[in-house]
Amino acid sequence: MADNERNDASFEEEDHRVAFIFNAPNQTLDSPQASKLSGDAHPAKRRKTTKAEQQETEQADSSRLSAAGTGTTFPVLFNGAESLEAARLRRELFERSWPVLEGRIQRVLREANTNTLDEVSSFLQQAAETETDKLTAGFIITGPNIASQDLLFEQLAERLRTAAQARFVRLRAAEAPNLKAVLKKIIRDATARTADEEEGVDVDVMTQGGRKYLDYDLEVLHVFLKNQKQQQHQRRVVVAFQDSEAFESGLLTDLTALFHSWRDRIRFDLLFGVATSVELFQARLLKSTARQLYGAQFDVVQAHSVLETVIRTAVAGTQATVRVGPALLRSLVERQQDQVAGVQMFVSSLQYAYMCHFYANPLSVLLTDAAVLQRREGGGVLQPEHIQAVRTLDSFQAEVEAAVEARQLGHAQSLLEDDDYLVARIREQGQKRREYVLQLLRSLHLVVSSGLSSASFTDLYTLALSSGIAISQASGTVPLEDAIKRVEPDEFLALTTRLLSAIHTGSPDLGLDGWAAAAEDVVLSLTDLRDEVEGLIERSKSNNSTGGPNKPRPTLKSKYSAQSRILRTTVVAQKVQLSHDSATLTDEDKAYTAAIDTLYALLHETIHCAPAITDAEHNLFLHEAWFIDTTSTSSSSSASLFRDIFVPRPGATFARALARPHDYLGCACCGRKKRKGRGDRASGPGLGTVLGTSPATAVLHQLLLETGALVNVADLWTAYSALVAKQGQSGEDGEDEDEDEDEGRKRELLVGFYRGLAELRVMGFVKGSKKKVDHVAKVKWL
Amino acid sequence: MARKKSATEAPALRASRKRDLSPDPYDIPEENETPKRRKRSEATVAVAADGSDGDENGTIEASNPTIQLTPAKRRGRPPKSATAGTPKAQATTPKRRAQKPLAETPIRLNGTDTPSRRNIADRSARRKSARALIDRVIGGEVSDDEVEGGDIAREIYESSEEEDEEVQEEVAVGEGEGEEEEDAQEPETPSKTPGRKRRTTTRKRSPTPPRDLPPHEQYFYQNKPGLARTSNNTLSSLNLLTHDEYFTIIRQLKDPHAANVTSLESFHAESFPQWAFELSQGFSTCFYGYGSKRRLLHNFATYLASQDPPTQKIVIINGYVRTLTQRDIISTLASALPSSSSSSSSSAPRPTTLQSLLTTLSSLSPPTITLTILINSIDAPPLRRPALQSLLTHLASHPAIHLACTADTPDFPFLWDAAQRASFNLLFHDCTTFATPAPCELDVVDEVHELLGRKARRVGGKEGVAFVLRSLPENARALFRLLVGEVLVAAEEGQGGGGQPGGGGGGDEEMAVDYRMVYNKAVEEFICSSEMAFRTLLKEFHDHQIITSHKDSIGTELLSLPFRREELESILEELTT
Repeated sequence: MADNERNDASFEEEDHRVAFIFNAPNQTLDSPQASKLSGDAHPAKRRKTTKAEQQETEQADSSRLSAAGTGTTFPVLFNGAESLEAARLRRELFERSWPVLEGRIQRVLREANTNTLDEVSSFLQQAAETETDKLTAGFIITGPNIASQDLLFEQLAERLRTAAQARFVRLRAAEAPNLKAVLKKIIRDATARTADEEEGVDVDVMTQGGRKYLDYDLEVLHVFLKNQKQQQHQRRVVVAFQDSEAFESGLLTDLTALFHSWRDRIRFDLLFGVATSVELFQARLLKSTARQLYGAQFDVVQAHSVLETVIRTAVAGTQATVRVGPALLRSLVERQQDQVAGVQMFVSSLQYAYMCHFYANPLSVLLTDAAVLQRREGGGVLQPEHIQAVRTLDSFQAEVEAAVEARQLGHAQSLLEDDDYLVARIREQGQKRREYVLQLLRSLHLVVSSGLSSASFTDLYTLALSSGIAISQASGTVPLEDAIKRVEPDEFLALTTRLLSAIHTGSPDLGLDGWAAAAEDVVLSLTDLRDEVEGLIERSKSNNSTGGPNKPRPTLKSKYSAQSRILRTTVVAQKVQLSHDSATLTDEDKAYTAAIDTLYALLHETIHCAPAITDAEHNLFLHEAWFIDTTSTSSSSSASLFRDIFVPRPGATFARALARPHDYLGCACCGRKKRKGRGDRASGPGLGTVLGTSPATAVLHQLLLETGALVNVADLWTAYSALVAKQGQSGEDGEDEDEDEDEGRKRELLVGFYRGLAELRVMGFVKGSKKKVDHVAKVKWL
Repeated sequence: MARKKSATEAPALRASRKRDLSPDPYDIPEENETPKRRKRSEATVAVAADGSDGDENGTIEASNPTIQLTPAKRRGRPPKSATAGTPKAQATTPKRRAQKPLAETPIRLNGTDTPSRRNIADRSARRKSARALIDRVIGGEVSDDEVEGGDIAREIYESSEEEDEEVQEEVAVGEGEGEEEEDAQEPETPSKTPGRKRRTTTRKRSPTPPRDLPPHEQYFYQNKPGLARTSNNTLSSLNLLTHDEYFTIIRQLKDPHAANVTSLESFHAESFPQWAFELSQGFSTCFYGYGSKRRLLHNFATYLASQDPPTQKIVIINGYVRTLTQRDIISTLASALPSSSSSSSSSAPRPTTLQSLLTTLSSLSPPTITLTILINSIDAPPLRRPALQSLLTHLASHPAIHLACTADTPDFPFLWDAAQRASFNLLFHDCTTFATPAPCELDVVDEVHELLGRKARRVGGKEGVAFVLRSLPENARALFRLLVGEVLVAAEEGQGGGGQPGGGGGGDEEMAVDYRMVYNKAVEEFICSSEMAFRTLLKEFHDHQIITSHKDSIGTELLSLPFRREELESILEELTT
């Protein structure tokens, strides 16, 4: 305590200032830093659940090195053995891989809104030309996520400023408590000049002819717009209500009425961001207000489809250097849906995954060019530690085991013993990874463009990563077999055409180029099949026409098609005869059946992909270097890392700190009796291990847990002093203290009690109660 | 009553009654069997029980006659007490009990008195709940949803019970005697019995709540009506701490966990490079967890400053400072920016609005400067205002501004809506430090006194004043000395009124002085020359909350000091020396 006081003195003057510029003191840091340099990792941290273990230990060990060393690189891993070059390389790799993706994502996000933007601006343009005595209002249905509205309105502002030469004012309900404030904001924003405009009008606008306008007088705006010696339509002001549901309806009514009355002088156009529906929104307005509006409704691309595109681009696309594993991706997508989070949140999580990977995984250097992947002696970056680390990997073990099983003992032995051999394998790995990803994406692309599977891309992608792609009906993960076999002749043609064009053009979203050259035989067979079936259709048609009207036959069919098993009903001499139709396959039908079989075989061959990691067999060698997943590393820690980093659970954290201070402090005094009896896992906060020696706040919190909703502070004090005093005495000394000392001790306890109570109040656990004297009310049940 | 028959029925009935009691999730199921409880209920009933219920079965019916403890009632119901004494006699077949209440209760209640409308409403609710309770007893099986419904029913039943007690007594008295009446009374007695019983139990049960309840269950358990019973003890015997005493003691006090706190802090310090990296990637970071994180943030600032000094400016905002305003923040940030001599407008004044600040920041032509804002206690009350939060949001979303903040309360995520959260782009780190909040962060004594409804005093007593005055010019100090002197004199004169020291609000208000008078004296003593200057000086005091002013009934402005007399005296002493 005393120490703290003294240390505090160093920056005491700054304490009471609202804000100040921090000037680094010349003297080195005090105690924490010093002990950091000497001290080992504290035991308490091992139990912290919030960080991935791997990352945690690595950082812990390395931070001192980075603190001492160069500022901009990543900390040195391998317990400090990693070379600075390797660390720098990791940083470079990160800086090379993430911004590319980010740029693409931003483009996707902006493009998603283009349609809406076009519609809105053309609507406003049209409205400007038509003469009406109503206010133009655009209702933009944004969906429930207000976080994503920002980008949309930003783009709108940009667009309308340039295209429509209008002043754009964005309003949010939080900034607009009342009419006056709204008007002030509108006037301020509308008269604020953009960078290229000339300055200096402001003052004389505000004080025209010696009189000063009130800053919420729309006359200011009027005068300002008049002074802008430009075209007529410069007088337009677009007011956008971003979250119009959050506005008070009275305020909206007032504003609309006001704008309407100013129509002859200033032309206001309104835009409403509507989260629910226009009907609901209209129901909140007065009829008379609604009558003053003339509007149109615009839909924004819904969040989930935007998310899908982002995933295609940034997660699945070829540009992504690091693969986000299925479990992590699924949890991220689920979070998006559960918490109605914006796409931005997903992007941030993705970025964070990249950051973690390059920051804390020393093997991420393996993602660099093969040329650099030399052993250090050969001028590369690979150190003995890297090689050693590779040998500890699961995928390495799987590789060796597979080699042994395949009786390639030489290969296995070399992997284990020969460093150069291993380095060569490592160098090959980049190519293998690219091949794998390409195969994966091509297969996926074919599945998607075949149009036979109804699953969303995200589902398909996670499925492909976790269990591979195979289309056979019985065992495949994407059972397309039946769908292919039951295909109609016309559909058959369309399908082959779609597949062919998919192969030719690739997918710009995924960053996948056409691979017709690489898959020449596939293209050839597909074309052949298509031609053949075309011919068959022709022939069966001509057969039909020649066959005469007495044999009305359906067109081409296969033995798989549903009609083949149809029951025929024939009335012969007034008796009904039932007969199966199966025997009536013509030669063309048989040929068509064969074509379908060929197609299936071809697709079965083409569309397949091994899972990235499942078990020992399907463990891609060195996938650890480019794969981030929750299951691949330690089971759940990295999932919880992601959850807690973005969506904290402060309640649980505080409750834990107060209920089991030993978890954090790791002190000798409070840890004695911990974890006994039932429920020792992270369980109810009631089961704390708080003893008298624990911090006062923890003791009080514990006592508070045991009380009812209303707490008598006098009794609380009695209980507290009894609990703590007992502890203190048994710990300190057995001698009987005289009155004064006892009293002194009491006051010390009281100080602790005060502090605990004050902290609990500040943290919002208790509040004052007027019900009884010296009582407080409990406000938090954690 | 056929004793033979009931003897066979009794166990079954008992079982069903017990079931009636236990579905309450908070009740300890065996409560009827606990000897302590039995003793208690027997004690309350001792008079009425007449010692006749020495046997086991007595417990269930035992508390039934509690009503009869009032002597007035007793005379009306001798036969009833007798039956109560022999519980087996009362144990009738469940069927009978089911039908009777349904048919008879309403008639009887309506017949005997003419209750007010509210009474009727209450009673019908009560009747329904009674019926529900009885149905359940007879139905035997208790499913989960029934449990809840049953509780509500009982709750209603009980809540109206007290009000109805009087009426019921009359009813009971007015009723005839004999076998038939006995039956007619049944619906009331048994259903009431468990209710009564339960109430006494909840009241007298040990205050230790059932363990292992999830928090929401705890909430409902602890907010059960009737449970909020606390003793009438007050802190009057305890001499509350003053600021002085608090600080004297706390300076001597040694925190046994100091070493652990330090090591915990150093553990967090190991993440500094990671945090710096996160900041550099456009994230904002938020450190939450129990304990003051001010030192941690300070160390983080030191670390950041040591990283790349030239392009980085660090501004620390103390969210806990009560006088915090938007203007303060913006002007500090503006002053952190290099003077924009290179930019076009030479005479550009310091940016005073957020917009101008951000445009200045964007327009800085030399390779971008990063402005790192570190905020202590972003969830402190002064910073909780939506306007300030949206200011911070705007700041954080600027690419050249990095923002890291600490949060001290468990509820801080409620500060931001989804849009704000998105523009903050926050990463959260658990930084539980267990460190003691510094006096500037948390005014312990004031907090506690406010909590207890005592009048709180701002600015850490005389030391706070001394600190404030040290930073003020000479004439401000002189004015304050004058003010203290005047107030003391006024207090001396008004001693007859008897403002006890420590007596709270009343005493303070008597120690007020007239604004005019102080001004005149100040002019006389050449402390200030104009009223304007005088006002300016006072404003400074106001800002630091070392004076308060108010108008009395005639409209004269009065100045007073929010300190006790002893404190004032010691302040004066310090000022004059």
